[in-house]
Amino acid sequence: MQTSNTNTQLPVDKRPKLKRSIIDCDIHQATGLDAIKPYLPRAYQELVKQYGPALPGGMHFNGGVGGRMADAYPEDGGNAGSDLELMQKQHLDRYNVEYGILTGEGYAVHAIPNYDYAAAMCRAINEYTIEHWLSQDSRLRGSVFISKQAPYLAAQEINRVGGRSDMVQVVVSSGSSIPYGNRHYDPIYEACVRHNLPFTIHVGLEGEGINSPHTGAGYVAHYIEQRCARPAVMGAHLASFIFDGVFERFPTLKVVLQEAGVLWLAPFLWKLDQEWKGLRVQTPWVRKKPSEYFRDHVRVTTQPFEETPNRQIFDHLLESIYAKETLMFCSDYPHWDYDSPSQALPKLEPELWDSIYYQNAAKLYGLPPRKTEETK
Amino acid sequence: MKQSSQHIVGTVGEIPPGTHKIVEVGGRSVGIYNINGVFHALRNICPHQGAELCKGIVSAYVTSDGPGDFQFDREGEIVRCPWHQWEFDIPTGCMITDAVMRTKTYDVTVEKFGVSIDNDLILIHM
Ligand code: FES
Repeated sequence: MQTSNTNTQLPVDKRPKLKRSIIDCDIHQATGLDAIKPYLPRAYQELVKQYGPALPGGMHFNGGVGGRMADAYPEDGGNAGSDLELMQKQHLDRYNVEYGILTGEGYAVHAIPNYDYAAAMCRAINEYTIEHWLSQDSRLRGSVFISKQAPYLAAQEINRVGGRSDMVQVVVSSGSSIPYGNRHYDPIYEACVRHNLPFTIHVGLEGEGINSPHTGAGYVAHYIEQRCARPAVMGAHLASFIFDGVFERFPTLKVVLQEAGVLWLAPFLWKLDQEWKGLRVQTPWVRKKPSEYFRDHVRVTTQPFEETPNRQIFDHLLESIYAKETLMFCSDYPHWDYDSPSQALPKLEPELWDSIYYQNAAKLYGLPPRKTEETK
Repeated sequence: MKQSSQHIVGTVGEIPPGTHKIVEVGGRSVGIYNINGVFHALRNICPHQGAELCKGIVSAYVTSDGPGDFQFDREGEIVRCPWHQWEFDIPTGCMITDAVMRTKTYDVTVEKFGVSIDNDLILIHM
């Protein structure tokens, strides 16, 4: 293998590639153990030093270069996503990002059976993020990491940092041992609602550690299979939220589905609505059509957006998932399956573009209008 | 017809076999690859989402006789895009899984200059 023997700069054109600014709902700052170690309590620092991190993960080979875009590694040899300056140059400035929601890394905390260690790691990730990222660039907003496997500890962490104005959501992995609609998690949703924070399910850690296998059929052998099974996992969480009545118990709760794809939701919603007609009596606490709960409570981020065979199919499916209200752009920078803000989606009519690239996220996260357009 | 132009992009010694160099020619970014002594020029833009294709890893064409079997042919002739790792054939610019998807290639020639081969000039024709 060979890599480039020159360091070319960004492409000739240095101006931002988008005229109107956007909100990017999924940017991964590196929050691996190396970065957050100083924020761990002494006991865990010593244990990690002596025995290693005691974390699962990496059952499959990832994509890209170490799971990242090959050109997102800083020249000094650090990790992709570890250098704010590079992130600004390569992504935030280049694509006119008005606000970027940081979603961190190290989701292995969501797969370990040691609840106290998981909670300490989450706390360390949150502290590191506040100090090294949120306070360094006013465009950035944070996601509260929680030990979702221990809801009472998770709720404590949400109550600890969830009131900060720079923390805008709670984030967990899609890999889980119990579907997220189960009332086991209610303390988490109580805390989310108290602090007005959406609960975001980001793909990852399915089949790892204490989490259930990648699919209902069992463990799959290759990363591509895991990726293609992700809609099924996300769909299970969505159905669980609806039929376990979470949105009835927490009428103001919002849920974000992240990185399992988008368009699969169209036939999935059709199916939910159809099955509900005949099975409603078994879950009578579900008071309206499943797709209505989806519209009212659920938001979906774009990346990795499915390529459709033609434009008509794209338009129909977008309508079927109520994209105008529910869809929010995200890039997944600096991960290898990054979606370019200017090229990932086909051209959209201006109003729909504005909803997807700005307004839906602004509304959900309570972010201000574009600075340049405030006075209009 | 548009007249073609030629540009000197370096010397043979600067791009030994198995390496490449990214150059700016006529306002365009182009990767010049030396594959076993033969030079190829590839437009540095991925037709997928516009990444700088020539910053991607250069590797082999991987084939197989069945599950678990990996064979590496045509070492150094395939570039994998730095973003989504789509594979492109360097000599033709065609994507491996869908040859219709391609990035532009340019003709390259080498011109004698002085005594040592290392000083020979690499010319790209646009
Ligand atoms: S931009 Fe090159 S593969 Fe996507």
